[in-house]
Amino acid sequence: MKRFSTLAVPYIVWAALMLVLPMALIAMYSFMEPGNSIISFSFTLEHYVKFFTDPDFLLILWRSLVIAVKTTIICLILGYPVAYFIARSREKVQNILILCITIPMWINMLVRTYAWIGLLSEGGIIQRILGLFGFGDVELLYTEGSVLLGMVYNFLPFMILQIQTSLSKMDYSLLEASADLGASPVQTFRRVTFPLSLPGVINGITLVFLPAVSSFFIPKLLGGGQYFLIGNMIENQFITVGEWNFGSAISMIMAVIMMLLMMAVRKIEIHNQGGKGERA
Amino acid sequence: MKKNRRPFGKILMILAIAFFYLPILYMIVFSFNEGKSLTSFTGFSLRWYQHMMESSDMMTALYTTFSVAIIATLVSTVVGTVAAIGLSSSRKIVRNIMEQVNNLPMMNPEIVTAIGFMLLFITFNVEKGYMTMLLAHIAFCIPYVMLSVMPKIRSLDPNLADAAMDLGATPFRALTKVIVPQITPGILSGALIAFTMSVDDFIISYFVTGRGVKNLSIVVYTMSKRVNPSINAVSTLVVVIITIVLIVINVAPVLAARRSRKAELGRRRRFVPAVAVCCALVIGLFAFRAGGGAGGDRPFEGQTLHIYNWGEYTGENIIGDFEEETGATVVMENFDSNEQMYIKVANGESYDILVPSDYMIQRLIQEDYLQKLDKSKLDCFDKLSDEVLGLPYDPNNDYSVPYFWGTVGIVYDKTKVDIEDLEQEGYNIFLDEKYKGDVYLYDSERDSFMMALKALGYSMNTENEAELQEAYDWLVQCVETMDTEIVTDEIIDNMAQGRKALGLIYSGDATYVMAENEDMGYYMPETGTNLWSDAMVIPKNAKNPDLAHAFINFASDYDGAYDNSSYVGYTSANQEVMEVLSGEGGDYEGINAYIPRADNENDEVFVYNESTKKIISDLWSRVKIAASNAD
Repeated sequence: MKRFSTLAVPYIVWAALMLVLPMALIAMYSFMEPGNSIISFSFTLEHYVKFFTDPDFLLILWRSLVIAVKTTIICLILGYPVAYFIARSREKVQNILILCITIPMWINMLVRTYAWIGLLSEGGIIQRILGLFGFGDVELLYTEGSVLLGMVYNFLPFMILQIQTSLSKMDYSLLEASADLGASPVQTFRRVTFPLSLPGVINGITLVFLPAVSSFFIPKLLGGGQYFLIGNMIENQFITVGEWNFGSAISMIMAVIMMLLMMAVRKIEIHNQGGKGERA
Repeated sequence: MKKNRRPFGKILMILAIAFFYLPILYMIVFSFNEGKSLTSFTGFSLRWYQHMMESSDMMTALYTTFSVAIIATLVSTVVGTVAAIGLSSSRKIVRNIMEQVNNLPMMNPEIVTAIGFMLLFITFNVEKGYMTMLLAHIAFCIPYVMLSVMPKIRSLDPNLADAAMDLGATPFRALTKVIVPQITPGILSGALIAFTMSVDDFIISYFVTGRGVKNLSIVVYTMSKRVNPSINAVSTLVVVIITIVLIVINVAPVLAARRSRKAELGRRRRFVPAVAVCCALVIGLFAFRAGGGAGGDRPFEGQTLHIYNWGEYTGENIIGDFEEETGATVVMENFDSNEQMYIKVANGESYDILVPSDYMIQRLIQEDYLQKLDKSKLDCFDKLSDEVLGLPYDPNNDYSVPYFWGTVGIVYDKTKVDIEDLEQEGYNIFLDEKYKGDVYLYDSERDSFMMALKALGYSMNTENEAELQEAYDWLVQCVETMDTEIVTDEIIDNMAQGRKALGLIYSGDATYVMAENEDMGYYMPETGTNLWSDAMVIPKNAKNPDLAHAFINFASDYDGAYDNSSYVGYTSANQEVMEVLSGEGGDYEGINAYIPRADNENDEVFVYNESTKKIISDLWSRVKIAASNAD
């Protein structure tokens, strides 16, 4: 197969140009004095200082991380049982159910989020239904709850599909073995099923957390003008304020935080697998 | 395995599916709604489908979405597969490095990747548009293809290709006849992921597009503020297309298998109809685009006009009529703030017509971005109202021709708000806790500060920092004590439905609200307001100034101006249109918001001042942060 290695060369060139260079540019812009030309590059840390010395910006970053964590936890709690149910269905049913979960992802994300505006707004269906139970005057739209709902709605399928994939690879005779050896269902789940599905859970967490932390159209559509997350801040810097250097610095900060978090998550995974290996 | 023993699981599954499909169902139902509202269904109608078919904007977006997705899928599948095969036989260190590089778009927040692409294109002066969008899509799709092809290659016997070649096959034949067939499932699932990612992409497309090229997501994002149920119609169309594709993919092989009496269907059998359907769709879309352009000797046959305008700021027919009359194609791009428009123009993007507001026109003139109008080509000035001509931002109208104009005021529900409170308190009613929780603010830095400054009795053009600080405190008090909601164009539908008692609003939006709901009133405080106007200008780097002049004439002429004003609700700069619409039997008869106030000496026109603008932008973003922390 060695003869095919030249086939990779064009892609290596392409990747350097289209994947590596853009990241390098963001880094450069973020360390550059204001002004949008890289020819007259002069180094500065002012954009980073500006971000880290302003409590308001830090609060927004913190809020974005918190809402992403909440989204991830909710997706995990809701997604796991659904994935488990799908994985334990017959194969034909499994395929249909997976299709049912996938189809909405093919319909534009923004369009689906947009539909929630109508559902949640004052006088909308959900409020009217709540009204029947005497909760008619609860505000639904433009709250943190509606942003959270939008995120869970958009990212839950990723979680379900990842967990389902790793659960369906599991050998179910293990469960019977565990039961035969006297483990309660809860014990079996904790000691056998969950550890085996961990790779899927980790992938799911990654796939949910990453877009949730940086999302800017969900807070904008469902959170109203006053709901600001870090993604909105970046968008604002590039689209309406025009301070690209500051925007690049925020992007870098976010990319680095994400990288660290992802590395930590991977560590947990490796650690866990290592631990199991010893016991086995 | 265990039948009927998992009622809990079943209920959960049903709930999950209901959750996923509820919004989609809702959207389909409301695409047939007669009215404009998103919450109350008033009757069955196909009005929005008609609107969608007539809107070249939406059909083009649909075409862009699918053509980009299909081309990006094909290219990235081929390139990704070849690269994966190549890499698998490269040295380990190269392989590991490339794996990390491929992780960049997958492990980075999407907005970071998007900004990277944008900076790349801008740094190398690549004009943003269809090609840049396509390139970016290919770039982020390839890693996904490789990710799903790689494991399949790894599971191959490394000697397979060598064996084929020992038996006399050329490397190319070994590749296509031996290796590729073995990894087909990986290639197909890679292609499927690439297609899904591309069709659904918003963030990356949003940052790398230009020249009015939009996919569906961008259309939804830029116009969703103002309710336009055509979005529902487009989405329903997408649902239908996808359902057809899925049915064909799943049913066709079954039928084929039955015919050929084969029990087992290979995955390849699914792929062929899928590709066939996609090709048919592309051809269909192309045919749609090509059709309808047959015309004789129209003056601008085959030329293109790029307009950069506010979202939902043109009538239903004006663009179509203009295209019909001139033979030109209009590409419309929308912005939702002057600042957003300014950044694109300052970055060298080229448009033929812009429609900025007064103070922004002044700035564009100062910074030398506009060209002087060729008045010999314009026949519109004598049709326009005197009040909108010769304003301080462009005293001789050398650069601009007014489009819409109006005031800013308070929209209020007559059944909930005592008019005496309004008359006594003016803008300070926004601090009156009697109306706590019943108030909308508008997300516009200049008009929010206008309100605060006018409430305090200052000029809205003040350069005095202490006064600005006082205005800031006023706004913070408002958002912290009044439980306000800061909205943009959502205010239109919401006030038309009577959801809050008070809101700061543009006169044109108030006109629309009052036409929809009789209980609504519009009040301009005596302490003054912003007399604004938006006008058409031609940038220096316009590619087709002649056509731009023709459009300015067309939009200022009675028919064009009437269509705009009657559909959007804003006051026309055309004197006759304004009189007809506000006169007896006109759409806006008896609506005070439609006629801008001309006799209050406290009313002002905005003046651009760079340092004040910076202070105000900064303070306003802090007001918004205060508001979001107050929740």
